[in-house]
Amino acid sequence: MQKSVKQEQNIKMSEPISIVAHQLKNPISVLTGYLEVLLSESLGNINGKQREYLNDAIEILSRVQLIISDLLDVSRIEEHQYKLNNVPFDLSKITEEVLNDFSSWTKASNCEISFVSRKLPYVMADRIKIRQVLESLISNAIKYKLSGLGKIKIDFKKSGKNIIFSCKDNGIGIPIKDYSKVFSKFYRSEEAMKIDPSGVGLGLYIDKAIINISKGRLWFQKNKDGGMTFHFSLPIA
Amino acid sequence: MDETKKQKKVLMIEDDIFLRKLYRDQLTRKDFEFIEATNGEEGINKTINEHPDLILLDLMLPMKNGFDVLKEIKGNKETKNIPVIIISNLGQESDIKEGLNLGADDYFVKTEIRLSEIIDRIVNKLSNN
Repeated sequence: MQKSVKQEQNIKMSEPISIVAHQLKNPISVLTGYLEVLLSESLGNINGKQREYLNDAIEILSRVQLIISDLLDVSRIEEHQYKLNNVPFDLSKITEEVLNDFSSWTKASNCEISFVSRKLPYVMADRIKIRQVLESLISNAIKYKLSGLGKIKIDFKKSGKNIIFSCKDNGIGIPIKDYSKVFSKFYRSEEAMKIDPSGVGLGLYIDKAIINISKGRLWFQKNKDGGMTFHFSLPIA
Repeated sequence: MDETKKQKKVLMIEDDIFLRKLYRDQLTRKDFEFIEATNGEEGINKTINEHPDLILLDLMLPMKNGFDVLKEIKGNKETKNIPVIIISNLGQESDIKEGLNLGADDYFVKTEIRLSEIIDRIVNKLSNN
């Protein structure tokens, strides 16, 4: 299919990964739309098992969609085309929003999250992208837990001209031999792959890029009592 | 059948045959007349000749991209008042801003919104026109 010059610029024709990812989006939209129509029963009644399978199919497509979004993010990061819309905002407040969204999942995963909302100066960053980083770090802490109760502690502090976010867990941790690869593309520890075989290993790479572009820093440390703590800093507005 | 709705005409400018089929099925079931164009040039011609009540516009189109189609529609006094809803895969803030600045009434990222929500917005938009 012939594409216009502007369109070629939009989808970065020089990057096959970007082209493929974009071309996969339409089939996913169509498939999801068809499944939604079937689930609405506007074309006829469906039984319980059919409903279950259709819902599963939508869930699978949304996972594929997330992988595609991650691939597009990676492509934009590598081409230095990852654009941020920086505004002042309350980091503590959006963390609270993320925790509220995750509350059912947290409970179902047998995790406890301690978090105290704090009055801190606003940070200057892209609210949507930082929310994405928060979701990534907190979901990792929930997902990669040991058996038994998962304990996660979220904290903030002011340090000079920055706000520092911390997410401490008592989960499976990261082997020391892997420390240099944690923020690499497609890195997944052996234990992580056992817990969630469907992951791709792009989340922390993208998180690191978002924080770096936001003039902050993302890092981690091993806890003395087990698990890991991930921190990031962001400049105060 | 609601005769008021029957008179409303929706033009979809979209190169994906299956996506057109999906919207055609949904909107004709709601008694709208559905016409379609598979590329930007054809979309402009049908806008001028058919004068639809609403346009659903993709951005990544053959022949002429959606931004240029939108510019022409909004730059023509005969067609500038036709509401345009962009339904695209381009989800970057800059694309959304450009689409809305050029005069689109709404901008939906295909994979970020449910079909039923878009259909509801279309019905709502046509009911208010």
